[in-house]
Amino acid sequence: MFGLENITNNNGWAIAAAGASIVFSGLVVLSFVISQIHRLLQIWEDRQRVISRFKQQPAAVEPQETVEMKYGEQRLPSVEKLVEAYKPLIEELEEPFKLSQVFEIANKNDMPHPHLSIQRLQEAGILAAQGDGTFTWNEY
Amino acid sequence: MFDLLFQFLVNTGYYLADYRNYIMLVVGCIFLYLGTAKKYEPLLLVPIGFGILVGNIPFFKGFGIGIYEPNSVLHYLYFGVTTGVYPSIVFMGLGAMTDFSSLLAQPKLMLLGAAAQMGIYFTLLGALFFGFAPKEAASIAIIGGADGPTSIFLTAKLAPHLIGPIAIAAYSYMALIPVIQPPIMRLLTTKKERLIKMPPARAVSKKELMIFPVAGVLLCCFLAPTALPLLGMLFLGNFLKECGVVNRLANTAQSAIIDTATIFLGFTVGCSTQADVFLTPKSLGIFFLGAVAFSIATASGLIFAKIMNLFLKEKINPLLGAAGVSAVPGSAREVHLMGLKEDPNNFLLMHGMACNSSGVIGSAICAGILWSFFI
Repeated sequence: MFGLENITNNNGWAIAAAGASIVFSGLVVLSFVISQIHRLLQIWEDRQRVISRFKQQPAAVEPQETVEMKYGEQRLPSVEKLVEAYKPLIEELEEPFKLSQVFEIANKNDMPHPHLSIQRLQEAGILAAQGDGTFTWNEY
Repeated sequence: MFDLLFQFLVNTGYYLADYRNYIMLVVGCIFLYLGTAKKYEPLLLVPIGFGILVGNIPFFKGFGIGIYEPNSVLHYLYFGVTTGVYPSIVFMGLGAMTDFSSLLAQPKLMLLGAAAQMGIYFTLLGALFFGFAPKEAASIAIIGGADGPTSIFLTAKLAPHLIGPIAIAAYSYMALIPVIQPPIMRLLTTKKERLIKMPPARAVSKKELMIFPVAGVLLCCFLAPTALPLLGMLFLGNFLKECGVVNRLANTAQSAIIDTATIFLGFTVGCSTQADVFLTPKSLGIFFLGAVAFSIATASGLIFAKIMNLFLKEKINPLLGAAGVSAVPGSAREVHLMGLKEDPNNFLLMHGMACNSSGVIGSAICAGILWSFFI
């Protein structure tokens, strides 16, 4: 048997619709859960403060727009500090170098948040793209 | 003595070979060429290519030599494929190698992994349309997940007689990602969309990384318990990596164990392409539908990313939708390269890996769902 008849006789439409809906809803639920994990952890870690806040009900504090907020919950050092920390590492590499090499050496030296730091150095123009996937150190 | 020599000669491969063997030997050599010279998925294509050569050397049947003959050595090695043991082990290794931090940092990208699974269900309908039996159609459809071990696992459960062509089709299309995906990506996105830069992902804490495999296995396997052999092992491997107290086990899972399973999986799948079993009109149909499945999966991810952009304040680069198929890390790399072509400062690799890892989870869930529909 061929064609639409074969699909209908074998319940193909229902299987496809049900299968697609199940996998989609499953991954939506999973993505929702994982998007909340860090919030739940934050609450758990700050549980004492949260409990006391409920007890005291302090006035709400307006959040300030800071450089750190742009980078999510990171408290990254300033670009100058990053330059200071990364310069000796970069000197060990031969120019031009790949970002993966910078990442590797940063990891080796236990630098905090290497992805974000490299990204920030790149945005600040310190890591200058050569257009072929390689970079050079371009300190002003 | 002349009789003895004659008898020996008629038992050699040279005498027993027919044109189908030669076709498959050429296919095996092409696989080896693509794997070694072009470096397309060499870890897969080299063992498979060599397996095709070994599986297609003609032999006198009844001596317990061939992969389909009971009690042959190859048959015992093939046991790991037909029972789904190798795919599960590969998944454990994959879990131990995968860093889910990019996914945890941007959970919305998981939806692209879900969208790319639509290729599976469109292909299911296509395979039924072309007259395949339902279990065969489900096995062919899973090629759209672009996940070799998952395809082999489901086919072993539903249509074991199709393992050879389905595995070869799945791995071929995975290896041909640099050929198949870029034209679809260019066709379905504008230059402006390809230039969209993704914001840097937030850093993910160690605790989150540890909780994820536990939450993942509970949520996914409660939903589709038939995906347990794949997802259970995937998340086990990932937990070994992230918990930090069993580094020896994690290191072994991500090196020796996955490598051993990959060698035997690739080699025996290659051997299973014995010409008389493999070269059938059905195989051609499977290859055609596999290409359709893979293309639809890529297109679904891209289109869904564009739909998401209609509602999102912070737009996502729609190229990432193409990484929703679970070919890790091939499709993420392709997305990254295309992003770089448009703008040398647009780095999409980590974001692509987020979609890729959700694609792995999604295709394993799909395999579980399809299996449960046909139990």
